[in-house]
Amino acid sequence: MSTNRRTFIAAIGTVSLIPWLKTHASESEATEAIQKIVGNKSLQTARVTLDISPLVENGNLVPISVLVDSPMTQADHVKAVHVISEGNPLPSVVSFYFGARAGRAVVSTRIRLLTSQRLWAIAEMNDGSFWQGHANTLVTLAACTEDILI
Amino acid sequence: MSKTSRTVVSMAKTATRGEVVPIRVIVQHDMESGFRHTERGVRVARDIIREFICTYDGVEVFRAELHPAVGANPTFSFFTVATQTGTLEFKWKGDNGYASSVSSQLTVTG
Repeated sequence: MSTNRRTFIAAIGTVSLIPWLKTHASESEATEAIQKIVGNKSLQTARVTLDISPLVENGNLVPISVLVDSPMTQADHVKAVHVISEGNPLPSVVSFYFGARAGRAVVSTRIRLLTSQRLWAIAEMNDGSFWQGHANTLVTLAACTEDILI
Repeated sequence: MSKTSRTVVSMAKTATRGEVVPIRVIVQHDMESGFRHTERGVRVARDIIREFICTYDGVEVFRAELHPAVGANPTFSFFTVATQTGTLEFKWKGDNGYASSVSSQLTVTG
Protein backbone atom coordinates (compact mmCIF):
# COMPACT_ATOMS: atom_id res chain seq x y z
CA MET A 1 0.00 0.00 0.00
CA SER A 2 1.36 3.45 -0.87
CA THR A 3 1.01 6.31 1.58
CA ASN A 4 0.70 9.67 -0.10
CA ARG A 5 1.41 13.05 1.45
CA ARG A 6 -2.23 13.76 2.22
CA THR A 7 -2.95 10.55 4.18
CA PHE A 8 0.38 10.95 5.94
CA ILE A 9 -0.58 14.40 7.18
CA ALA A 10 -4.02 13.12 8.18
CA ALA A 11 -2.33 10.36 10.16
CA ILE A 12 -0.08 12.87 11.94
CA GLY A 13 -3.21 14.80 12.87
CA THR A 14 -4.72 11.71 14.46
CA VAL A 15 -1.56 10.77 16.32
CA SER A 16 -1.13 14.25 17.76
CA LEU A 17 -4.68 14.09 19.12
CA ILE A 18 -4.03 10.92 21.12
CA PRO A 19 -2.51 12.56 24.24
CA TRP A 20 -5.68 14.65 24.64
CA LEU A 21 -8.02 11.71 24.43
CA LYS A 22 -8.84 9.89 27.64
CA THR A 23 -7.24 6.51 27.20
CA HIS A 24 -7.63 4.76 30.49
CA ALA A 25 -10.00 4.28 33.38
CA SER A 26 -9.27 6.21 36.52
CA GLU A 27 -9.28 5.17 40.12
CA SER A 28 -12.77 6.60 40.52
CA GLU A 29 -14.10 4.56 37.57
CA ALA A 30 -12.68 1.41 39.17
CA THR A 31 -14.32 2.36 42.48
CA GLU A 32 -17.59 2.92 40.63
CA ALA A 33 -17.35 -0.51 38.95
CA ILE A 34 -16.70 -2.12 42.34
CA GLN A 35 -19.65 -0.21 43.82
CA LYS A 36 -21.87 -1.57 41.06
CA ILE A 37 -20.88 -5.16 41.89
CA VAL A 38 -21.13 -4.81 45.67
CA GLY A 39 -24.23 -2.60 45.86
CA ASN A 40 -25.03 -1.55 49.41
CA LYS A 41 -23.31 -4.54 51.06
CA SER A 42 -20.10 -4.05 53.01
CA LEU A 43 -16.79 -4.95 51.42
CA GLN A 44 -14.17 -6.53 53.66
CA THR A 45 -10.46 -6.75 52.93
CA ALA A 46 -9.35 -10.36 53.51
CA ARG A 47 -9.54 -13.91 52.08
CA VAL A 48 -8.76 -12.82 48.49
CA THR A 49 -5.24 -13.13 47.07
CA LEU A 50 -4.51 -11.64 43.68
CA ASP A 51 -1.24 -12.95 42.34
CA ILE A 52 0.53 -10.97 39.62
CA SER A 53 4.18 -10.30 38.86
CA PRO A 54 5.21 -6.97 40.48
CA LEU A 55 7.21 -6.05 37.37
CA VAL A 56 5.73 -6.81 33.97
CA GLU A 57 7.91 -6.48 30.89
CA ASN A 58 5.14 -6.74 28.28
CA GLY A 59 1.55 -5.78 29.07
CA ASN A 60 0.09 -7.83 26.23
CA LEU A 61 -0.02 -11.15 28.05
CA VAL A 62 0.25 -10.98 31.81
CA PRO A 63 -0.45 -14.13 33.85
CA ILE A 64 -2.64 -13.53 36.90
CA SER A 65 -4.21 -15.88 39.39
CA VAL A 66 -6.84 -15.30 42.02
CA LEU A 67 -7.12 -17.42 45.14
CA VAL A 68 -10.04 -17.14 47.55
CA ASP A 69 -9.89 -18.72 50.98
CA SER A 70 -13.04 -20.86 51.00
CA PRO A 71 -13.91 -24.51 51.76
CA MET A 72 -15.95 -24.66 48.49
CA THR A 73 -18.75 -26.80 49.88
CA GLN A 74 -22.46 -26.62 48.99
CA ALA A 75 -23.06 -24.59 52.16
CA ASP A 76 -20.07 -22.27 51.90
CA HIS A 77 -18.55 -21.42 48.55
CA VAL A 78 -17.43 -18.57 46.34
CA LYS A 79 -20.06 -17.51 43.81
CA ALA A 80 -18.07 -15.04 41.75
CA VAL A 81 -14.74 -13.26 41.45
CA HIS A 82 -14.42 -10.00 39.53
CA VAL A 83 -11.08 -8.54 38.44
CA ILE A 84 -11.10 -4.73 38.19
CA SER A 85 -8.37 -2.53 36.72
CA GLU A 86 -7.55 1.09 37.56
CA GLY A 87 -5.45 1.76 34.48
CA ASN A 88 -7.02 -0.02 31.48
CA PRO A 89 -9.49 1.60 29.06
CA LEU A 90 -12.28 -0.36 30.77
CA PRO A 91 -12.34 -1.10 34.51
CA SER A 92 -13.77 -4.63 34.03
CA VAL A 93 -11.09 -7.18 33.15
CA VAL A 94 -12.69 -10.59 33.67
CA SER A 95 -15.31 -12.17 35.92
CA PHE A 96 -15.34 -15.77 37.10
CA TYR A 97 -18.40 -17.64 38.38
CA PHE A 98 -18.05 -20.83 40.39
CA GLY A 99 -20.47 -23.64 41.07
CA ALA A 100 -20.44 -25.49 44.39
CA ARG A 101 -18.63 -28.31 42.57
CA ALA A 102 -15.67 -26.18 41.50
CA GLY A 103 -13.62 -27.79 44.29
CA ARG A 104 -11.17 -24.98 44.79
CA ALA A 105 -11.63 -21.22 44.37
CA VAL A 106 -8.42 -20.82 42.42
CA VAL A 107 -8.30 -19.60 38.85
CA SER A 108 -5.62 -18.28 36.53
CA THR A 109 -5.62 -16.61 33.14
CA ARG A 110 -3.67 -14.05 31.10
CA ILE A 111 -4.69 -10.41 30.75
CA ARG A 112 -3.64 -7.16 29.07
CA LEU A 113 -2.36 -4.14 30.99
CA LEU A 114 -2.14 -0.67 29.48
CA THR A 115 -0.03 0.86 32.19
CA SER A 116 1.42 0.45 35.68
CA GLN A 117 -1.54 0.18 37.97
CA ARG A 118 -3.41 -1.41 40.84
CA LEU A 119 -5.71 -4.37 40.20
CA TRP A 120 -8.57 -5.40 42.44
CA ALA A 121 -10.21 -8.79 42.92
CA ILE A 122 -13.69 -8.80 44.44
CA ALA A 123 -15.10 -12.11 45.65
CA GLU A 124 -18.79 -12.73 46.27
CA MET A 125 -19.66 -15.60 48.62
CA ASN A 126 -22.86 -17.62 48.49
CA ASP A 127 -23.94 -16.04 51.83
CA GLY A 128 -23.92 -12.62 50.10
CA SER A 129 -20.76 -11.24 51.69
CA PHE A 130 -18.07 -9.49 49.63
CA TRP A 131 -14.31 -9.68 50.09
CA GLN A 132 -11.51 -7.88 48.30
CA GLY A 133 -7.82 -8.11 47.60
CA HIS A 134 -5.47 -6.06 45.46
CA ALA A 135 -2.07 -6.08 43.78
CA ASN A 136 0.16 -3.40 42.31
CA THR A 137 2.19 -3.90 39.18
CA LEU A 138 4.71 -1.95 37.11
CA VAL A 139 4.38 -2.30 33.34
CA THR A 140 7.38 -1.37 31.19
CA LEU A 141 5.83 -2.02 27.77
CA ALA A 142 2.10 -1.34 27.50
CA ALA A 143 -0.51 -3.35 25.64
CA CYS A 144 -2.45 -1.56 22.86
CA THR A 145 0.54 0.49 21.70
CA GLU A 146 1.12 -1.37 18.45
CA ASP A 147 -1.55 0.62 16.64
CA ILE A 148 -0.30 0.36 13.10
CA LEU A 149 -1.88 -2.68 11.53
CA ILE A 150 -2.36 -2.18 7.82
CA MET B 1 -11.03 -14.95 11.50
CA SER B 2 -13.08 -18.11 11.32
CA LYS B 3 -16.17 -18.58 13.44
CA THR B 4 -14.68 -21.56 15.21
CA SER B 5 -11.08 -22.22 16.08
CA ARG B 6 -8.68 -24.61 17.69
CA THR B 7 -9.28 -25.49 21.32
CA VAL B 8 -7.19 -27.54 23.69
CA VAL B 9 -8.38 -28.98 27.00
CA SER B 10 -5.91 -30.65 29.30
CA MET B 11 -7.42 -32.71 32.07
CA ALA B 12 -6.91 -36.13 33.65
CA LYS B 13 -9.01 -38.96 32.12
CA THR B 14 -9.54 -40.79 35.40
CA ALA B 15 -9.93 -39.66 39.00
CA THR B 16 -10.98 -41.12 42.33
CA ARG B 17 -14.30 -40.00 43.79
CA GLY B 18 -14.02 -36.68 45.64
CA GLU B 19 -10.70 -35.81 44.07
CA VAL B 20 -10.17 -32.19 42.98
CA VAL B 21 -9.27 -32.33 39.29
CA PRO B 22 -7.29 -29.50 37.69
CA ILE B 23 -8.45 -28.40 34.23
CA ARG B 24 -6.63 -26.17 31.76
CA VAL B 25 -8.23 -24.85 28.59
CA ILE B 26 -6.93 -22.67 25.79
CA VAL B 27 -8.69 -21.38 22.69
CA GLN B 28 -7.19 -19.81 19.60
CA HIS B 29 -8.57 -16.27 19.21
CA ASP B 30 -7.07 -12.84 18.44
CA MET B 31 -9.24 -11.05 21.03
CA GLU B 32 -9.24 -7.78 19.05
CA SER B 33 -9.83 -5.27 21.83
CA GLY B 34 -11.59 -2.52 19.87
CA PHE B 35 -9.11 0.03 21.21
CA ARG B 36 -6.56 -0.22 18.41
CA HIS B 37 -6.36 1.97 15.31
CA THR B 38 -4.97 1.52 11.83
CA GLU B 39 -2.30 3.92 10.57
CA ARG B 40 -5.11 6.07 9.13
CA GLY B 41 -6.68 6.44 12.53
CA VAL B 42 -9.61 4.13 11.89
CA ARG B 43 -10.66 2.20 14.97
CA VAL B 44 -10.51 -1.58 14.55
CA ALA B 45 -13.85 -3.10 15.59
CA ARG B 46 -14.01 -5.23 18.71
CA ASP B 47 -13.99 -8.97 18.13
CA ILE B 48 -13.59 -10.93 21.33
CA ILE B 49 -14.83 -14.04 23.09
CA ARG B 50 -17.47 -12.95 25.61
CA GLU B 51 -18.13 -16.08 27.60
CA PHE B 52 -16.64 -19.42 28.56
CA ILE B 53 -18.70 -22.11 30.31
CA CYS B 54 -17.68 -25.48 31.71
CA THR B 55 -20.44 -27.93 32.62
CA TYR B 56 -20.08 -31.35 34.25
CA ASP B 57 -23.02 -33.65 33.39
CA GLY B 58 -25.05 -30.53 32.63
CA VAL B 59 -24.23 -28.81 35.92
CA GLU B 60 -22.31 -25.54 35.61
CA VAL B 61 -18.96 -25.82 37.35
CA PHE B 62 -17.13 -22.75 36.12
CA ARG B 63 -18.00 -19.76 33.96
CA ALA B 64 -16.00 -16.73 32.88
CA GLU B 65 -17.16 -13.43 31.45
CA LEU B 66 -14.46 -11.95 29.23
CA HIS B 67 -13.77 -8.29 28.51
CA PRO B 68 -11.29 -6.76 26.01
CA ALA B 69 -8.59 -6.86 28.71
CA VAL B 70 -8.26 -10.64 28.39
CA GLY B 71 -5.17 -11.51 26.36
CA ALA B 72 -5.12 -13.17 22.94
CA ASN B 73 -5.72 -16.94 22.93
CA PRO B 74 -7.58 -16.93 26.26
CA THR B 75 -6.54 -19.62 28.68
CA PHE B 76 -8.11 -20.56 32.01
CA SER B 77 -7.04 -22.98 34.64
CA PHE B 78 -9.54 -24.02 37.28
CA PHE B 79 -10.75 -27.07 39.23
CA THR B 80 -13.68 -29.40 39.63
CA VAL B 81 -14.57 -32.18 42.09
CA ALA B 82 -14.81 -35.65 40.54
CA THR B 83 -18.29 -36.80 41.58
CA GLN B 84 -19.23 -39.45 39.02
CA THR B 85 -18.21 -40.76 35.62
CA GLY B 86 -19.48 -38.29 33.09
CA THR B 87 -18.90 -35.72 30.40
CA LEU B 88 -17.41 -32.28 30.82
CA GLU B 89 -18.44 -29.79 28.19
CA PHE B 90 -16.51 -26.63 27.40
CA LYS B 91 -18.19 -23.85 25.41
CA TRP B 92 -16.99 -20.49 24.15
CA LYS B 93 -19.21 -17.73 22.75
CA GLY B 94 -18.16 -14.42 21.27
CA ASP B 95 -18.65 -11.46 18.95
CA ASN B 96 -19.64 -11.95 15.30
CA GLY B 97 -21.30 -15.27 16.01
CA TYR B 98 -18.21 -16.96 17.35
CA ALA B 99 -18.99 -20.32 18.96
CA SER B 100 -16.79 -23.23 19.83
CA SER B 101 -17.27 -26.29 21.98
CA VAL B 102 -15.42 -29.39 23.01
CA SER B 103 -16.20 -32.17 25.47
CA SER B 104 -14.09 -34.49 27.55
CA GLN B 105 -14.86 -37.73 29.37
CA LEU B 106 -13.94 -38.23 33.02
CA THR B 107 -13.97 -41.73 34.51
CA VAL B 108 -14.43 -41.76 38.29
CA THR B 109 -13.33 -44.76 40.34
CA GLY B 110 -13.79 -45.70 43.99
